[in-house]
Amino acid sequence: MSRILVVEDEQHIADGLRFNLEAEGHDVTIAADGERALASILDDRSSYDVVVLDVMLPGRDGFEVASTLRTAGQFVPILMLTARGRPEDVLRGFAAGADDYLPKPFELAILIARINGLLRRRLWNEGKTSGVPAADTYTFAGRTLDFTAMEIHARGTSYRLTQMECQLLRYLVAHAGQPVSRGTLLENVWGVHEETDTRAIDNFIVRLRKYLEDRPEEPCYLQTVRGVGYKFVPGGR
Amino acid sequence: MTRRQKAISFFVALCVLLVAGAISLNVGWIVITAERAPLRVLLFGIITFGLIISGLIVYTVFLVLEIRRNEEHDTFINAVTHELKTPIASIRLYLETLQSRSLDEQQRQRFYDVMLADADRLHRTVDQVLKAGAASQKPKVIARAPVDIGALTRECVDLALQRHHLQPGAIMIESHNVGPLMVRGDAEELRTVITNLLDNAVKYSSDLVRVTVGVAAPTPDTVWVRVQDRGVGIPRKQLKRVFRRFYRVQMRGLKQVKGTGLGLYIVRSIARAHGGRVFAQSEGEGHGATFTLELPRLAS
Repeated sequence: MSRILVVEDEQHIADGLRFNLEAEGHDVTIAADGERALASILDDRSSYDVVVLDVMLPGRDGFEVASTLRTAGQFVPILMLTARGRPEDVLRGFAAGADDYLPKPFELAILIARINGLLRRRLWNEGKTSGVPAADTYTFAGRTLDFTAMEIHARGTSYRLTQMECQLLRYLVAHAGQPVSRGTLLENVWGVHEETDTRAIDNFIVRLRKYLEDRPEEPCYLQTVRGVGYKFVPGGR
Repeated sequence: MTRRQKAISFFVALCVLLVAGAISLNVGWIVITAERAPLRVLLFGIITFGLIISGLIVYTVFLVLEIRRNEEHDTFINAVTHELKTPIASIRLYLETLQSRSLDEQQRQRFYDVMLADADRLHRTVDQVLKAGAASQKPKVIARAPVDIGALTRECVDLALQRHHLQPGAIMIESHNVGPLMVRGDAEELRTVITNLLDNAVKYSSDLVRVTVGVAAPTPDTVWVRVQDRGVGIPRKQLKRVFRRFYRVQMRGLKQVKGTGLGLYIVRSIARAHGGRVFAQSEGEGHGATFTLELPRLAS
């Protein structure tokens, strides 16, 4: 669950945003002016995952809030949501430290997609992906997966893993024994919600098989489930 | 802000330099021609230089005024953009919510109410812009009929209380006259005047709204409607300017109050069209403001 701060003085829009973001499964807090927003964000550091910031606020406006946060070393992702849509306003928003800028009126689906984009970026930066346990090592059939060091020890050799290989393996291990579709993997490991090009995963699987399997062309741990995706079987076939 | 101030100070400096140049030329002219030329030529030169100098000053004053007007116009565009787009954004947001989420009946009713309130707000803004446009048109034809200003004021107060979700005591009416006070005019326009004054009083009150409305006849021929608030007040220098089109009160530390800068302009032009006037009084910042609408009284 992500914590989102909505800084908006228009009661109606604030309530509407809260309703929708909560329906998306986020935890929403509302601040009605710049001062309260600053106090709330700077008070308990980095407890918000995204800030949705209006510009025309009573007291200190959104530009000021954003630049104050950045000067204070607070780098929470900021999405500016404002009626001011002229190019100079957009540029000013980014100059003040916004990560994204959406003019009002906005499309709800696009706002939610952009918020998810910022959340995803934050997850990537922190090197963790949703739904994956934080186990550091995992051993099966004489093979050891070290997620912290990003290494596989198998058949007397060590293989270094890339970040994405490591994430993918972690996800598969966490869902051991269950078939996982390519779409699910893209969504939960890569954080991409798109139907196209799910075959990109196959290349990763091919590489992981080279590390783990005795005979990669006849895999028994990383199995293909026809018409679905992949399945990790710790005990082998 | 700073760009505007820079432009103004540049042009003022330019004007001072040019005037100084013109004056020294003028003095030189007098010194050179005083010995040989006849008085006629001397006078001609002095008058010409005088005209040039006054021309320069007039030119600079107009330029500075124009820069100020331009700035006010910019703030107006920003304010109207905000006032128009916010309710549209809100209505859109709720429509999309209704479209894409499954809601129970109670939630749906609540969302409809929010959307209606936003549509009203949008309507008020559009209305205000249109009224300001009508107010700047010169030949003003108003329907004239006897109007009981006391009853009209009470009606407006009730509406304002309802619109701003206030307790009944927040806006008090003081009436000193027993009988009805009649004026001749357009009830709809006068309603706009009183509503605008009340809206301002509420908007510029800080957290606690305490507004007093007085309806009185100070002389046998005039009627006063007084709206007094205990809000942020108005600096003395701006008491007249607040009635200008697009003008918004500027004070350090004033929390941004939303609006178009048209309300009092409309108030003034309606008051004038009715043969009356409107003026503001304030003890200064933090001491509230009093707006008085004065109209000619209709003998009943």
